[in-house]
Amino acid sequence: MTTPTDSPAPAGSETTSTTRRDFLKLSALALAATSGMPGFLARAAAQAQVQGGAKTLVVVQLTGGNDGLNTLVPFTNGAYYAARPNIAIPRKDVLGVTADLGMHPALRPLMGLWDAGHLAWMENVGYPNPNRSHFASMAIWHTADPTQAQRDGWIGRMAEKIGDPFCASNLGATGPQAVRTARFALPSIDSVNGFQVKLPAGLEGAFDALLAAPRQGEAAYLSQATRQMMRNTARVQENVKKYRAGATYPEGRFATQLRDAARLIAAGIGQRVIYVSLGGFDTHAGQRAEQDELLGTLAGGLSAFHADLKAQGLADRVIVMGFSEFGRRVAENDSAGTDHGKGSVMFALGEGVRGGVHGSSPDLETLSDGDIIYRQDFRGVYAEALERWLGLNAREILGSEFTGPRWVA
Amino acid sequence: MTLTPYTRPLTAEDAAHFLRRTAFGGNEAQLRALTGQSARAAARDALAFGPAMKAGNPFDPASGATPGAMLQLTRGAWLFELLYGDFPLREKLTLTWSNHFVVGTDTVRNHPSLQGYLGVLRRHAATTDFTAFALDVSRSPAMLRYLDNDLNRRGKPNENFSRELLELFTTGIGHYTEEDVREGARALSGWTFTGGRGNQRYLEEPQFVFQERQHDAGRKTYLGQSGNFRPEDVVRIAATHPATAVFVSRKLHRAFVADAPDETAVQGSAETFRRTNGNVRAVLEELLSSEVFYASRQRIIRSPVEYVVAAVRAVGQPKLDPKQVLNLTQTAGRMGQLLLQPDTVEGWTGGRAWINDNVLLTRMQLAAALTLANSAPPLRDVPDALVLTGRERDPALAGLGKLSVKQRTYLGLIAPEFQLA
Repeated sequence: MTTPTDSPAPAGSETTSTTRRDFLKLSALALAATSGMPGFLARAAAQAQVQGGAKTLVVVQLTGGNDGLNTLVPFTNGAYYAARPNIAIPRKDVLGVTADLGMHPALRPLMGLWDAGHLAWMENVGYPNPNRSHFASMAIWHTADPTQAQRDGWIGRMAEKIGDPFCASNLGATGPQAVRTARFALPSIDSVNGFQVKLPAGLEGAFDALLAAPRQGEAAYLSQATRQMMRNTARVQENVKKYRAGATYPEGRFATQLRDAARLIAAGIGQRVIYVSLGGFDTHAGQRAEQDELLGTLAGGLSAFHADLKAQGLADRVIVMGFSEFGRRVAENDSAGTDHGKGSVMFALGEGVRGGVHGSSPDLETLSDGDIIYRQDFRGVYAEALERWLGLNAREILGSEFTGPRWVA
Repeated sequence: MTLTPYTRPLTAEDAAHFLRRTAFGGNEAQLRALTGQSARAAARDALAFGPAMKAGNPFDPASGATPGAMLQLTRGAWLFELLYGDFPLREKLTLTWSNHFVVGTDTVRNHPSLQGYLGVLRRHAATTDFTAFALDVSRSPAMLRYLDNDLNRRGKPNENFSRELLELFTTGIGHYTEEDVREGARALSGWTFTGGRGNQRYLEEPQFVFQERQHDAGRKTYLGQSGNFRPEDVVRIAATHPATAVFVSRKLHRAFVADAPDETAVQGSAETFRRTNGNVRAVLEELLSSEVFYASRQRIIRSPVEYVVAAVRAVGQPKLDPKQVLNLTQTAGRMGQLLLQPDTVEGWTGGRAWINDNVLLTRMQLAAALTLANSAPPLRDVPDALVLTGRERDPALAGLGKLSVKQRTYLGLIAPEFQLA
């Protein structure tokens, strides 16, 4: 292990909020004045760890376009069964949550959270001028910009505002656009255990000198990223030893990543946002088998995660917010699957969540090109998390005022 | 406006740059052979690759005991060719096309159909006819399965392939409507393959078939044209659309010039693409001997597979045992690039999206395994600054003189400059 020596000197103790605000102002100037390196990276080491008691948002991405209608099922709606003769969830199988809506049976592990009032469903979430391309639509959710003009991710922008590049981490091999900024990506941790550097003895000085050579462009980006990585790994390894799992997680990558998320949170390293993805929702054919399995993986992982946090005494400090880039077409296709659609459901869970169904059930009689019409802009759902859970100014991050359902308790 | 040719004889640094982009780097003998040549001759020679595969490939996918093992062996066989093959540019292009005409082993688990798909990519790696390439790959059972066109039947459309044909393979977003997607799906109905999905005979090669009875023969309107289009008609219309020239040219610039290519230069290549009716070989030859190519140093972040291959080639292509080669496919996978398995149909994003803590860590581990570890292969070549960084005197590597050869090589492999092409 080497200790990075290139960090700027800590700018004193930034413990009081006034000092912190002034410091951030100065940092904003520094950002404008330096080239090639965003200010928030330069000042990273100056940031004290987030004070105890900070809250964490876990974002769960369902990649591929999860079918919202088969997730939160309108089981009293004849139009639903008429549109989906082969793949509708039979009424007898749904897990009723209201008089008209029921959860997919594979979500049974989440019923305890529902009953406790800790699971929220947001209905008909989407954005204006929906795009049916996976890529474009996912980019819109990541940048929180339906005009597709922004390149920075919404979580990346949040990290710049907070001023700590470690305040949001992705779990997985590659980072989503949501955690990118113009000049940098926030940490991606494939596995907490593997997140450490062992530099061969005697090479520390040469390594530091190698990274310190003057550079421009992509080379400067890489040397900066490497130095940041050295700091990040050191920070994680100093802390994660404290964790003992408080629940048994299912097998599989998704659950393992949630376990790593619990571990990072329990270690108190200071992440405000942790990002996890579950892929495979592009169900153009044979949807029932595929989506059933995926929702089972989702529910099993989340249920264990919540139980673990509860055992750690952290359940009141963490909420989960889940989304997918779009829903599917209302009518099934002839491959017993569904093609790309528009609005869908979002979900949130945790003790800090106001449980229930927020928003009205989709209107299956009035469709747009065969899709449900969205009624809730997803940025309103984000705004609620930013403003009321993370205590940030959502307008600054999202660029405009959005209102969402009051899903944070 | 076509691209301005690079007319000076190649310097040693020019040669190093060319080999970094087209051959995952080169050793000193290769550098010397290129130095003094004309840019045009260098490009032409590199593009004159044949179909021969490297002898002695230890991997036979058909020998796998399970479908999963067959996929692993398919990856191993490809990485072996990348590491040791005599036509690195062909393999670089094959990798590039596998990230354009994407299929993924999450759904395509039949190894003969993957072999067929890779065969199409290699055969057309520097195709003289992009439309023929698009038709061949569209008819490959791997693609038909991956994007569900085997389920696209008359009166029972499945839009998956129709959409991605436009969005990702030809025109790109902004040049078609949702109506084009639907009409395209109608026209593509009937293209499928023998054996069907769920076929448990993993050694049986599925064959492309056109099932006339499943084809919607009615009139369609597609990208502004109308007719009783058959599947090949819509592929041809999409592949020859003017926007396709730009979309494909941009991909090539991203592979060979810069992660964020200059749009004027892209337009120059697109013009050549259109003028030659989709002659990709001509576009590449012009591109690889242009001013813009030689002016663009260290502008591409090497992908995980490119990094692995470049590192092994830089230390002299030591003979790795098959298990080590298989491990390297997994190492690239841990860095986000498992061969034949992009995350989604869009393929790998590339550029700075490759770089994160996890990837940088893994690169350091790999470099150590190739140089410093007790199990490291013998260092067959001692790469100098030119081989490692593309520069004869690189300030980053200055001052490492006191270290051992292995230590210097290790640091060279983890230097930012080596991670770039």
